Amino acid sequence: MTEPFRLAILGCGAITRSEHIPAVSAHPGVQLVALVDTDLPRAKALIRNRGLSCRAVADYREVLGQVDAVVNALPNHLHVSSNMDCLRAGVHVLCEKPLAITAAEARTCTEFAEEKKLVLAVGMNRRFAASHPLLKLIIEEGQLGSIQNYDFQYGGAFDWRSASGFYFDRAKAGGGALLDFGVHMLDSVIDWFGPVSGFDYQDDDWGSGIETNLFLDLKHAGRFGEIPGHLQISRTFGLKNRLLVRGAAASAEISVRDPEVVVIHRVIGGAPVSQTLQLENFSGGSSYWRQLDNFVQSIANRGKPEVDGWQAVRVLELIESCYAHKRRIAEPWTEIGAEIRAEARR
Amino acid sequence: MNWRNETVFVTGATGFIGGRVCERMMQAGLPKVRALVHGMHRAARIARLPIELCPGDLLERESLRQALGEAKVVIHCGLGPASGIVRGTENMLAVAHAAGVKRFIHVSTAAIYGITPPPGSESEDAPLRRTGDAYCDNKAAAEKVVLKYGERGLPVVILRPSIVWGPYSAWNTRLMDDLREGRVALIAGGHGACNTTYVDNLIDAMALGLENDRALNQAFFITDGERVSWGDFIRAHMALMEPMPEVGEISRAEIEASRGRSSGLLLGSVKAAARVARSKEFRQMLMQVPLTEAAMKRAWNWVSALPPEKRERLRARFGVRRAVAKSANAKFIPDAVTEGTQSTTVFFSIEKARKVLGYEPRVRFADGMKLVEQWLRYAAYL
Repeated sequence: MTEPFRLAILGCGAITRSEHIPAVSAHPGVQLVALVDTDLPRAKALIRNRGLSCRAVADYREVLGQVDAVVNALPNHLHVSSNMDCLRAGVHVLCEKPLAITAAEARTCTEFAEEKKLVLAVGMNRRFAASHPLLKLIIEEGQLGSIQNYDFQYGGAFDWRSASGFYFDRAKAGGGALLDFGVHMLDSVIDWFGPVSGFDYQDDDWGSGIETNLFLDLKHAGRFGEIPGHLQISRTFGLKNRLLVRGAAASAEISVRDPEVVVIHRVIGGAPVSQTLQLENFSGGSSYWRQLDNFVQSIANRGKPEVDGWQAVRVLELIESCYAHKRRIAEPWTEIGAEIRAEARR
Repeated sequence: MNWRNETVFVTGATGFIGGRVCERMMQAGLPKVRALVHGMHRAARIARLPIELCPGDLLERESLRQALGEAKVVIHCGLGPASGIVRGTENMLAVAHAAGVKRFIHVSTAAIYGITPPPGSESEDAPLRRTGDAYCDNKAAAEKVVLKYGERGLPVVILRPSIVWGPYSAWNTRLMDDLREGRVALIAGGHGACNTTYVDNLIDAMALGLENDRALNQAFFITDGERVSWGDFIRAHMALMEPMPEVGEISRAEIEASRGRSSGLLLGSVKAAARVARSKEFRQMLMQVPLTEAAMKRAWNWVSALPPEKRERLRARFGVRRAVAKSANAKFIPDAVTEGTQSTTVFFSIEKARKVLGYEPRVRFADGMKLVEQWLRYAAYL
């Protein structure tokens, strides 16, 4: 077996702690050589607490001569500059989503990686849940009949304890719930149903640029014809937290809680029945481990990763269009405040 | 004073009342709002507003100085941790006083008269007694500190709302969840006084407190001014549901009898505190990993000093079973806090608020329910 790739993780925030360190530690194809964080004590404490044998470094540029690859989990606004520095130094990059906060920047990174013949993979761990390829098979093999529409909802009280809290700062996060979580959902639906040919977008941004709730109606024009879909995201309250794909013969459901299986609903002789399907021979590990594995295989084989920069560009272009054409969600229960304003003017 | 051109500083801004205050300040066209944010992860609702999210902690005075910035108006909805209600309020007052703040609205609570306010506590001059409930007693002690700063020259106004309801209120959302899961009973016929305070009515009172100099150094009960019973409140929510849930009645004697057989609220609360303390979330909060006795004690103090609706939310969140089980005839038995809250006969008078503040509740109960219904649909409760 070849030597494992030397790898550094940039950023010691929440996702590094909960997912990237366990994935990297469990993968024989990589050797963790450094944890990077401008808050050096944080990186050191993490190394100590997890019993890791790697260096703590405050500036990622210090490790660029010493690693083959990085996992980039810095706050969103730092992705592009750090990705470019890594690529310039000949280092392969697995970058947390979103690849950049603008499509143009994502494009620049992607083109540069191509030019340098380096792997630039985008962290879309949901692609590596077993239900993702399984639903793709189910749709492609016509198991649902012709696809009528889909409904995709994800919501809950926001509780992401980011170390820096960058996600509520427009300049650092680049957007709200759509950019943060919508990237996953849009990446998935584009992969399943094809390119987006039309949309109608509403959110509850009152001027900060950080939407908390959103509704997005989409139309896909892919090889299954035109498919309408409805997407809803909330950072304030619980939703159904599932994707439901309705076909002429049956429906398929993926629950956010159990993304390893697909439940098929159909009616037999007037009785509704359901059946849980799962892929056999699907490799173990967390979705983050599988994502890392795909990254490692892509580097080893000089191949294309499952989610490359171009897919990120497509998704970011769509998000930018949504933001550019957004309408405000009606919140009639807030209008009593507007009355007061009218009174004050009188 | 004219506050509409001032920068307003809101504490408790990530909570239900403070969140709506921030929205209303935007709607009033204020040039600048600064929101104190202790846990950034809780700021989703207000992050959509063009306001300044200012990190800080009521228990760290220096952080408050920075967060307050140039603001000269403070609306103090924040609680902070249990044992810290008084200290957090005092910190905020001291920082505001030193910064030359021109108005300080302190959001107190009618619960300073206890979970079950006794007859005689209808008006603001009713004497305060220790209630034995950490939340109630700490909020009462906080009022005294506010008045102390009032005497020193900080222009303070104290508002005492009761059951503050409206979109995002746990009184509404928890009731919906409880109704769905059969955890609601009409206690003693549901005749207890609910003292509803629609959140926008409370905010109207805040605005009046900012404008009206006669209000300084005084406390005001703020409610919707309607004699809405707990039965009315519960039935209004039942009517929204399809199919309408069945809710039984239970007498206080029945509750008493069943409590004799069960482990009781106290044990349930201790268990809840232990479960909370052991949870990853709570430990993250305390930033400490080993669970020591001191941490347990702290957790218990923390839980017991929360307002009742927060205690309930925690209980639900951490999956702690309520302290009471169903009685022999399978009736749902409410816990002691719920029983206490819904058993008061006192309707707080808003006459003083009417006379001195010029307060008149704009949102009537029925109209508030219509707004709540619209929001509950939006928030996928219906």
